[in-house]
Amino acid sequence: MVELAELSAGPKQRGRRGARLRDSAITLGMMGPAVLLYTVMTVVPVGVAVYLSLTDWDGFSTAAFTGLDNYKHLFDDPSSTDAWYVTGLIAVAGTVCMVGLGLVYALALKGRSRTNSFFRAVAYFPHVISALILGYLWAAILGTNGAVNNTLAKFGIEPLGFLFDEKFALISLIAVIVWAGFGFNVVLFVAALQTVPAELLEAAAIDGASKRQINLRIVIPMIAPVVTVATVLNLVGLIRAYDIVVSLTGGGPAGSTQTFTYLILARSFEGTNVGYATAQAVFLMVVSAVLALLVTALRNRQDQAAAGQ
Amino acid sequence: MVVVLEAEVRERPKSAPTEGDTASRRTERKEPRSPVRWALLGVLFVVMVVPVYLLVVNAFKSQQDILDNPFSIPLSGLTFEHMSAAVSSPQFNVIGGYGFTLILVVVVDVLCILLAGPAAYAIARSLKRRTQLVLLYFLAGTFIPGAAVIIPVIYVLREVGLANTVTGLVAHDVASTLPVSIFLFVGFIRTIPVDIDHAATIDGAGRYRTFWSIIFPLMRPAVVTVLILNSIGIWNDFVSPQILLSPSSGHYTVTTAIYAGISQYSTDLTKVFPNLLLAVAPVVIFFIYMQRHIISGLTVGAVKG
Repeated sequence: MVELAELSAGPKQRGRRGARLRDSAITLGMMGPAVLLYTVMTVVPVGVAVYLSLTDWDGFSTAAFTGLDNYKHLFDDPSSTDAWYVTGLIAVAGTVCMVGLGLVYALALKGRSRTNSFFRAVAYFPHVISALILGYLWAAILGTNGAVNNTLAKFGIEPLGFLFDEKFALISLIAVIVWAGFGFNVVLFVAALQTVPAELLEAAAIDGASKRQINLRIVIPMIAPVVTVATVLNLVGLIRAYDIVVSLTGGGPAGSTQTFTYLILARSFEGTNVGYATAQAVFLMVVSAVLALLVTALRNRQDQAAAGQ
Repeated sequence: MVVVLEAEVRERPKSAPTEGDTASRRTERKEPRSPVRWALLGVLFVVMVVPVYLLVVNAFKSQQDILDNPFSIPLSGLTFEHMSAAVSSPQFNVIGGYGFTLILVVVVDVLCILLAGPAAYAIARSLKRRTQLVLLYFLAGTFIPGAAVIIPVIYVLREVGLANTVTGLVAHDVASTLPVSIFLFVGFIRTIPVDIDHAATIDGAGRYRTFWSIIFPLMRPAVVTVLILNSIGIWNDFVSPQILLSPSSGHYTVTTAIYAGISQYSTDLTKVFPNLLLAVAPVVIFFIYMQRHIISGLTVGAVKG
């Protein structure tokens, strides 16, 4: 840290060693508290996670070092592979629907009018509400006694197990996630659409392009970089899905909606093998990091493309 | 239609040329006539708003009315009984949760600004490569899936003697807000001319004084973004308070109070709807008032962070 402070002295010193040192000390003093807290509360736990993932720690007794056993187990344990299937399906299907709906509604709501900003807010508002609470609300609506099944019952239709039937539960979960999340994409895409120059669209219209052709051939390609970033942001967010699973389905029925994070936390609290659960957490972290790095790489490419234009 | 045009004119800068106005008026006029567009917007409105309607209406009905007619508003059957029971429930108290959560949000916000502000200033104004590595070090934090590594956080808190304390939760929450806050602050400070700092130095201000009295007041847009991002994040957080503060601590946030209450009584809809409405109301009201700031703040935070 001292070394680092010396090197990061402020820009204005004129070779006076004392002044330079004082300036370095101030730089260190300004960054120190944030670096320290972040290191202790965020970086150290990651190190601890990596360490625990190499042990058979059960949460209480002393941990015995077991090497990479937990990681080998990751790929042959059915509950772990099932959770990856569920998580992957949520991430991919959820992202496809969220990006698709986001594009459709962004094209419908791109104009700068009061009506449009009202509808954008209508699409967006679940984003500010806790996913836990949204899950409980939808559980009350889709449950056996919920509004949907009660209405169906009036038409003589047997209640559907939206949340209690293995066939439907995952679809319901994905639908609620999409409901809660696509508004974010709408706002993101509208911001991008508003930067598409109007002259370009007018020129295409004069050349006889239909509205659909303009959208598909000009508008969507022009906002493609933003669509890519949104896709990866959605993917990274959805592979971490947890709160909404807890409140909507509780991982059920019969574990059919258990996501990876849900499995990690559930298993940690059973307290049988925390070491294995942290190995899963480390693995999830690696997958998130790869996806997040992808965002950074794409964004850099996008910035370079913008600079080159 | 008239409303649309008024808004259109109002949102346009005053210096905009008149041709621009007529052109956009022409496209505005075309759009509302499209039946496909209005069908899309109708579906959007129904799908997004009906759950909220059900939440509000059913919070004031009896269990029997909710089951028989979830969509109706029985004027004679409306009751405040369950709502007031939820407000004064001794078992899990959402209103009590407001107080604790609000204090948590304010404390985390203030500490985050106090730590992230000077750190971002030092990073933004340094020309050394090594200081830029500090920024990357913070950015790496955005890759960490918080919920999945919460168990090791307990382990660390136990080591430093803060397990199951509010201080421990605050320390964890502040640390989790630092990466994005510092990143947004650094980006913003770099747009402020360094000459301002030099002028302050010539007038005899030290670096802390320069930051807090000169630079920080100029950072208002970035500070608003960070405050909105962090406040909504902490208010809605469920995993950290649930796991870092066990029920024995006696402290509940809105989300953990809801979890404690609803998971127990999920079939009693007269408990579910009033409690959920109480939990959602402050956020929705805040959203309606601060809509523009919130939408742009959260979007910028997510994309740049």
